Amino acid sequence: MIKLIDSILASGDPLSHVVQHELFRLEVGGHELVVSNHLVMVLTAAVLLVIILPLAARQRTIVPTGLRNFFEAICVFIREEIARPALGENTDKFIGYLWTTFFFILFCNLLGMVPTDGILYLVSFGKLHNLGGAATANIWVTGALAVTAFFMIHLSGIRQQGFLGYVKNFIPPVPWPLIPVMYVLEFIGALVKPFALSIRLFANMLAGHTVLGALIGLALASKSFGVAGVTLAGCAALSLLELFVAFLQAYIFTFLVTLFIGAAVHPEH
Amino acid sequence: MNFEMLAAQADLLSGSSVGLAIVGTAIGCGLIVIGASLGISKIASNAVESIARQPEAGGRIFTTMIISAALIEGFTFFAIVVCLLGVSNLETLAKLSLGITE
Repeated sequence: MIKLIDSILASGDPLSHVVQHELFRLEVGGHELVVSNHLVMVLTAAVLLVIILPLAARQRTIVPTGLRNFFEAICVFIREEIARPALGENTDKFIGYLWTTFFFILFCNLLGMVPTDGILYLVSFGKLHNLGGAATANIWVTGALAVTAFFMIHLSGIRQQGFLGYVKNFIPPVPWPLIPVMYVLEFIGALVKPFALSIRLFANMLAGHTVLGALIGLALASKSFGVAGVTLAGCAALSLLELFVAFLQAYIFTFLVTLFIGAAVHPEH
Repeated sequence: MNFEMLAAQADLLSGSSVGLAIVGTAIGCGLIVIGASLGISKIASNAVESIARQPEAGGRIFTTMIISAALIEGFTFFAIVVCLLGVSNLETLAKLSLGITE
């Protein structure tokens, strides 16, 4: 019984529940595609979004109720409190991308908090291992989100101001000897800002799940019910904090991408 | 935890300075935590003070506090990830330093 619990919960190594596990490989057009559990979770989040959000938007009453009310409250909050102060009249052009980013990160984070590994292991009598996990605890997933944000920021800035106008407005007005230094600094900043976005989201999710795994491993290694009980109560409280962090990190990512798009589309002087 | 495997690994690597590297990583982690908590506690204390001074601006001050704390935590977590990378690659680095090529 202890062996069953151990292999569900801690697997001897707190990092083994957060890292990517390869499930199988596919041969696609001469290249190999590695299907891992994080890829499966990203697809699950995408399928859930594609199913749930149109269902919620389908309601035809004037007064929103139920599922539509829930999603509409979040969407209106993002549009009025985050997007409109930063983007002004360009809100409607970018709000689709911002809503997509927010809900994708939120669904990935929350799916990471659902114990899919344990449930599938119990239901399949030990056959299915490591099928779930937090997709955003993978640097490549958050890196892909950051690369998308990078192209969104600079391409929309170029489209709004023209390429030469964008390059001219890239730096704040400084005396002419400082202009090359400013260009180097702004260029480095343009690369560092999406990198920081991806690292922030990735490390928050990684740290949360690692601490949870380490605490549960501690509860098992203590081999006493008292210590295990207190540790598991602490894990429950930490899981509540992780739920808050899931929402907060999605909000922070969306907020910062909005700020960067606003700064690129109409740079204030 | 598989203690026998850990003990065998520790025996193999006792000739290298893996222990010192782990101590260095742990001390670095502690320094990161001190820096981050100093920064975020300063933000939080100023936010609480200004909300007490002007309660009707409470919503905006709370939002600003949360955003600033998340920004500081951003690069804090980057530093923690650097520590984790060092710790997880200790075995390969120690084997390299001992000249064990396999």
